[in-house]
Amino acid sequence: MKKKVLFSLVVLFALVLASCAPAAAPAEEAAPAEEAAPAEAAGDDPCAGDWGCAVIPAGETIKIGMSSPMTGPYADFGVDAENSGLLAVADFGDVEGFSFELIAEDDEGGAEGGAAVANKLVADPTFVAMAGPLFSGATAAALPIYEAAGIAMVSPSATAAFLTEQGSAVFNRVPFTDPIQGAGAAEYLFNELGFTKIAVLHDGEDYGKGLATTVKDEFEALGGTVTTFEGVTVGEADYTPILTTIAPDAPEALYFGGYSAEGAVLANQMKATGLENAIFFGCDGTWGADFLQNAGANAEGSIHANTRKPPASDALDSFSAAYTEAYGVGPVVLSPFSYNSYDASNMLMQAVAAVAFVGDDGSLYIPRAALVETVRNTTNYVGIGGTYSCNEIGECNSEGPAFETVVNGEWVVLQ
Amino acid sequence: MTAKVKSPQVKQRDLGKIIRPIFGALVAAYILWRLYNVFIVEAKYGPQVWVSLLISGLIIGAVYSLIAIGYTLVYGILLMINFAHGEVVMLGIYAGYFVFEAAKAIQVPSSLNPELVFADAYPALSIFIAFIIGMGVSATVGFFLEKIAYRPLRKAPRLIPLISAIGASLVLQNVALLLFSPQLRNYNNPTVMARGNGWKMIINETPVNVPYTGVFTLILSVVLMLALLYLVRNTRLGKAMRAVALDKDTAALMGINVNHTISSTFLISGALAGAAGVMWGLHNGQVFNTVGFIPGIKAFTAAVLGGIGNIPGAMLGGMFLGLVESVGPTALGISFQLKDVIAFAILIAILIFKPSGILGEVLAEEKV
Repeated sequence: MKKKVLFSLVVLFALVLASCAPAAAPAEEAAPAEEAAPAEAAGDDPCAGDWGCAVIPAGETIKIGMSSPMTGPYADFGVDAENSGLLAVADFGDVEGFSFELIAEDDEGGAEGGAAVANKLVADPTFVAMAGPLFSGATAAALPIYEAAGIAMVSPSATAAFLTEQGSAVFNRVPFTDPIQGAGAAEYLFNELGFTKIAVLHDGEDYGKGLATTVKDEFEALGGTVTTFEGVTVGEADYTPILTTIAPDAPEALYFGGYSAEGAVLANQMKATGLENAIFFGCDGTWGADFLQNAGANAEGSIHANTRKPPASDALDSFSAAYTEAYGVGPVVLSPFSYNSYDASNMLMQAVAAVAFVGDDGSLYIPRAALVETVRNTTNYVGIGGTYSCNEIGECNSEGPAFETVVNGEWVVLQ
Repeated sequence: MTAKVKSPQVKQRDLGKIIRPIFGALVAAYILWRLYNVFIVEAKYGPQVWVSLLISGLIIGAVYSLIAIGYTLVYGILLMINFAHGEVVMLGIYAGYFVFEAAKAIQVPSSLNPELVFADAYPALSIFIAFIIGMGVSATVGFFLEKIAYRPLRKAPRLIPLISAIGASLVLQNVALLLFSPQLRNYNNPTVMARGNGWKMIINETPVNVPYTGVFTLILSVVLMLALLYLVRNTRLGKAMRAVALDKDTAALMGINVNHTISSTFLISGALAGAAGVMWGLHNGQVFNTVGFIPGIKAFTAAVLGGIGNIPGAMLGGMFLGLVESVGPTALGISFQLKDVIAFAILIAILIFKPSGILGEVLAEEKV
């Protein structure tokens, strides 16, 4: 009996300790980003600070993470990001004789998966940088975990506005943001297409709802009418009830903020619910081969946002050739983010190369705080998708979207 | 002592008696208030909208009903919830998908149209084959599911086969993931049965679409349900099923082969799940490895709504759930994201006021 009491006391004590320990760390986490100096600034110890150094023993690789949906309805996005990241790692080469390795993990695009992948990756001491996560929901959940571990992040596609507005030191991104895309879409609908009455749907996720809210606000600010603003449940195969209730208002276009799985179902069922004259207007989440395949003939005439066509360059040509040769399809077919993924991985690896140094024991030392700061200070980085300069909150791209439509099963850029 | 123990129990029951009607009255008042708002104050939607919503509801309800019967049959006989039933449906959807892919690939050139394919030349026959193969695959899966996952556990406590069922469900989902890849695929319907095509009904000067696939789904599921009722009421196998449901041991003493009867029950519920799957594919079109999960959960809800173990109850529950999901958000004027909340709120209300479901929990004797 006594033993049991003692044992439970010990367990209780251990639990209290365990619950206290991690709470102390995040309180000071924001500070080291500003204090730490790059490795070359000689004198003080570059590995000082809470985040310390990543130590890569000789023979090990430097791990770059990728967190993306690789199974389920959004698998194309994740597969594309992994493909591009692998090419980037293969092209970049070595740093002081240490090579990079891309660890792509499946987060299923959701918050739970994002956090699970983050927890798994930060447990690896040779993991230094994250070329993701791809989706905004996964990013929001994973960000505190990467922040606590001092992992430098460049996301190729997480576009929800709030991600860079929380004062994160580690998070950066290269796509255009949702507010920019939303404003662009509202303007295109109102000014270019001359529509005054649209319906707006979203999938209730961080990305889709944020985008749809921006479109609604901007469209109304321009003087248009939004007849319906509603969320749909993700993963359903039958949206006819909601489309039926939209039809009596006869909107000229249906804007959808979300991903291609739900977007294709909506586009398919618009024809049968009295919305056959309305245009399906999607976003960069609905753009892609998935939408063409799943909506078939119903995809014709729909409009979607996409990143602008990158300026022609030798690097772009060789990337396209290598991608096509390795995977049998061209880049920017599976998802719009092939170039972004390649550039995000390269920006991270370049920053790693700038701060890493070989210690006396032959291991490679990467000061995490310096790496985070170097990525944030990126200026005029010329990638294959464009030129990036990160601002003080981690926005590395200020270009707006381009709009594309479907003609005979092919994407055509609208002027 | 005994008197002291009894008195708080009596008090509690009294409290429940007071709270329940108050809760019920509040819910009813809220619903009436919302209905009044939508239909009389706002009156935004014409009859064409409601007819269209009813049609969607009936179609999805018919699919739910067929799946719910599978839950109810198994529960009636083994007193367990077969949580892998949604995956049995999923495999049926895949089977139908491959039949239509094959039917679209086989060329039957005619003098009029050299590009003619089997699915368009013989649409009725290819749909028939898809149903036969879909039902066959699902029935086989159900049959072996019982043999492998449930039969060894028949004498175990009731929670154990339930956990085994959840395990079987995960295994089947991942087997499908490995076999068919995570890619989302689309049913390749014969051209005459293309999704979205249908009769145009003019109501209030607005055309309302009555999809061919939907009408087909509704008719076929009613036919299958009537056939099942006939089988359970009027055949030797049905009599054996009812006897086993009532009392396994006595049934065995009367010379009924219990194992054989249970296997047959799984075959029947699997075949109905397969039919529901092919209908789902024809009407909604999407196939992926977890496609069976949501209809499975909804159908389970429907089975509990109608009174689990009760076959007409499952049919009624499925139709009711389909209609509530489709009409509910608009009729109450609330967000469409809350449609599952409505469905499950109704489930909770039914469980509070009539825990045995709308038609009661029965399968033996007058159970059918």
